[in-house]
Order: sequence, then structure tokens, then C-alpha cells
Amino acid sequence: MSDQEKRTPPERRYPPFYEKAVPIILAIIGLFVLVLLVVIVAVALGRFPTLP
Amino acid sequence: MSAILRWLPFVSSIVSFIFAIFVFRRYAARRGPHLLVWGIGMVFYGLGGFCEWYYGSFGWNPLIFRLWYLFGAILVAAWLGQGTVYLLAGRRWANGLMIVLCLASIYGLVRVFMAQLDPALMTAGGHTGSELSGRAIASAGVRSLTPFFNLYGTATLVGGALWSAWIFWRKRILLHRTIGNVLIAVGALLPAFGGTFSRFGIPGALYISELLGAVLLFAGFLRATTPIQPAEEKGRG
Repeated sequence: MSDQEKRTPPERRYPPFYEKAVPIILAIIGLFVLVLLVVIVAVALGRFPTLP
Repeated sequence: MSAILRWLPFVSSIVSFIFAIFVFRRYAARRGPHLLVWGIGMVFYGLGGFCEWYYGSFGWNPLIFRLWYLFGAILVAAWLGQGTVYLLAGRRWANGLMIVLCLASIYGLVRVFMAQLDPALMTAGGHTGSELSGRAIASAGVRSLTPFFNLYGTATLVGGALWSAWIFWRKRILLHRTIGNVLIAVGALLPAFGGTFSRFGIPGALYISELLGAVLLFAGFLRATTPIQPAEEKGRG
């Protein structure tokens, strides 16, 4: 085994499902958060006729 | 008021209190202010659910309404988010924000308990009155406090969970924490969206989303604090 191979850490992988699903889910949740924050700010600014 | 709408908040309340006990037990064993603040936040969640159940079962009560609005509508998200701030931010920042949150919470308490109430207003604007609604507050300037607390709570709780999940995923470490944080992020979002749907007069949206939110938060906490066994991970892959 060369020095180069010794220094390179083994590549870690999640199970295949999580490799693909996690970033997609995080992006979707992030999108929902943005929508929600816009709604909250709109409520705070009085853009909606009613408050919670 | 259907039986389902009456008992959903009760189940939410029980789940929240059991969750709070789990968090306080972990705090007793490991310390860490984030656990203490999360535990307090889940007690607030449980109190909100209890007040909703009380209203559904026994009808209007001014004290119950004020407790519901203070703990269930104003404080719960912000306090849960403050727990995440303690977990992810530096102690000095977290302590500073904690002081601000405590002062703001006291201000909210005073405003809510001094507010004029009119339960007849809950049936206005598409609401059936089957669920508690902040519309019952007749005094100006009280309900406008809620978005500021919820903005802080959503940004810190959901944002913190998303950030943690992303970091763990990017490093490909601690899969259980990645999954747990995704569940926490979704669980924290649901009640906020339920409140939005409730605002547009969709019956049951708030109580259903609160129950699902409590269950997902609890599941996320358990998942994040329970490492995945190699055999379990292999089976998932």
C-alpha cells in the first residue's frame, strides 16, 4: 500500500436510499420554510386580513 | 365540535408531556441547557393541547383561553427554537438571546392576561368556533406579537434541524441524526402550516397538524438520540 493510499480516508457512504433522498427532502423542507416565513412576515406586516 | 376534534388535542398534549419527560430525563443525565429549554418548550406544547381539549370538552373559559394563547400560540415555537440555539450557537450568543426571549415572554404574558376577550369573535371570518382562535382577543396589539415569536421559533428550530441534517449528510456520518433532524424539521413545520390553514377556515387543520407535529418531533428526538445498529442500517440500504 502506498503512502498516498494510507493517507486517503475510506469514502463514507450512506445506504443508497438516504444518499438520494436526504438532499431532495431537505430542499423540499427548505422551500416550505421559505413559503412559511413569507406568510409570517406578511401577517406581521398586516398583509393578511386576520392574525392567528 | 366532533369527538375527533375534541380528543386530538388531548392526545397531542399527552404525547408532548411524555416527550418532555424524556427530554428532562436526558437533561438530568447529561446536562446541556438545550435539553432543558427543549423540555420547557414541550411542556408549553402540552399545555396548549390541554387548553384546546378543555375548550372542546367544557366550552369557553377566559383563563384557559389566555393560557392557550400564551403557551400554545405565542411561546412554544420560540422556546423550542431557543433550545436549538443553545445546541448550535455559542454560549454567549445563546445566553443573550435567552435573556431577550425571557423578557419578551414576560411582556407577552402581561399583554395576554390584560387583553379584553370576546369569544363571539372566534366565529368571524370563516371560522366555525370549533377550534380556539386568537380572534377572540379584542385588544389591539396583542395578536401582532405572535408572528415575531413564530418567526424566531421557525427560523431557529426548523433552520437548525435542516442545518444539522445537511452537515451530517455532507460528512456521511451519524445517519440516525440525519434522519432525526429531518423528522424534527417536518414536525416543527406542520403546526405552523396547520395554523395557516386554520386561518383560512379549514376545520381541524390546526389540531391535526399539532398532533402530527408532536409525534414527528418525538420520533425525531428518539431517532436522533438512538444510534442505528449495523444490522438495521444494512437492512435499510
